[in-house]
Amino acid sequence: MQHDARTLERVKVRKQDVLDAFSRCSNAQAIRAVERLPEQRGFLDEKEIDRHLLRVHWEMQRLAEEFYHGHRVWELLRVVIASIRHAGLRETIRIVDVGCGIGYGIRWLAANVPLHDSSIELVGMDLNGTLINEANRLATLEELPCRFVQGDAFSKEHSGHIFTSTGVIHHFRGGELLRFLGRHEQPETQALFHFDFQPWLLAPVGAWFFHYLRMRTALARHDGVLSAARAHDGRTLTEAAREVLPEFASGIYGAKIWNTPAPRVFHTLIGMRRALVEEFRRQLGRRRSRLGELR
Amino acid sequence: MTLLALYLLALLDGLLCGLRASMGRCAVIRKRGYYQRAAFLGVAGAQIISTLALVALLTVAATSPHRAEVREDLEGAARRMLWVFLPYAFLVLSNLALRLAPSNDIRSATSVFMLGPLTAIRPVVMIVGVFYGIYSSRLVETLLLGMFVLVLMLSLEFALNWRADRWQEREIRQII
Repeated sequence: MQHDARTLERVKVRKQDVLDAFSRCSNAQAIRAVERLPEQRGFLDEKEIDRHLLRVHWEMQRLAEEFYHGHRVWELLRVVIASIRHAGLRETIRIVDVGCGIGYGIRWLAANVPLHDSSIELVGMDLNGTLINEANRLATLEELPCRFVQGDAFSKEHSGHIFTSTGVIHHFRGGELLRFLGRHEQPETQALFHFDFQPWLLAPVGAWFFHYLRMRTALARHDGVLSAARAHDGRTLTEAAREVLPEFASGIYGAKIWNTPAPRVFHTLIGMRRALVEEFRRQLGRRRSRLGELR
Repeated sequence: MTLLALYLLALLDGLLCGLRASMGRCAVIRKRGYYQRAAFLGVAGAQIISTLALVALLTVAATSPHRAEVREDLEGAARRMLWVFLPYAFLVLSNLALRLAPSNDIRSATSVFMLGPLTAIRPVVMIVGVFYGIYSSRLVETLLLGMFVLVLMLSLEFALNWRADRWQEREIRQII
């Protein structure tokens, strides 16, 4: 899919252009996946692509459910919220999920967390209108207190106190990663935490095996494996965050399982205003050992 | 007793097949009702298969010229199948029980290290179990019946997936 960067309007995509792009990087699996996508007069059929995207994202949600991702997000979020409250912020805390897709994380929180007690507002943002429509449809269906908006999560009107994302940050590389992280520097922003695959020796093989087992569409299988292969290591993420967010303390959370050398599938880049760090450590309690160097 | 054990294992397999076929096809958060229906469909599918297998078994037993021998041979085959199916079922159930542990890491580990691979080898376990059951059978009736049951067992998940796929397609076409 392609969108006009300014208007976010959908732009028609010529199938051959996509095939050529994957041919240039000799990605045979991607070529096979694209070849199966329906076309109309040489352009990818927008309606069918949208349907396909929904299929893929429903499948991806299954993985998030299987790995208790909602629980993991809340485990960290409630500690961050408690730290922000301790620092004296009384207004409603707006949590923005960047690149939310069909909004599983935000909808899970809306369904399982007492929002009034925590006084938080949940917003999911994505550039893809189809996914945002689906997220809103699902939220309405279950009467969940959250909303989803198509647009730029870092724009002034949508800015949040806490930014989060899942499986998004590996899409940004080099200078783009720096620009993406740099945009978190906004007056009201207190913290950020981004979940993503953790790269290690067996991650691509493990991702291939698991996606082959659990996913049904070629696109989801291919994308999952590619994401694991492209993931940033903790050092790249923290160095980038420390370079462009000097007002934030940054570090990695949850890289290892129970202090063993065994890596978790996902690790989390955490950043927060320096005034929050001490309380954040205290609030983590016994989970404090999961936190890497936060500076 | 052996037949009852095989029947219960077939129902359990049907239940889990029903759940697997339904996963990743519905994106709401609260899915208890959805999964209950999926599990029921799986059990119903397994019940149909069990009934077909029972009818075939009774037909063979009733029409065979050497009934006592057939019965003994079938019982022997069924007992041997349990040597494969019971440990597999034990592994699956113990890992599902582990998912009750209040730790996201333990729950996730059961998926990565056990339930995922166990799902992958299910068809192999089915084939090995049935062949282990019938390989030392003396009668052609037992061999044919074993193969018939194997085809039924392998087709269950395929049929449930086919049905779930059609339901999902309808849902998606209503949305877009």
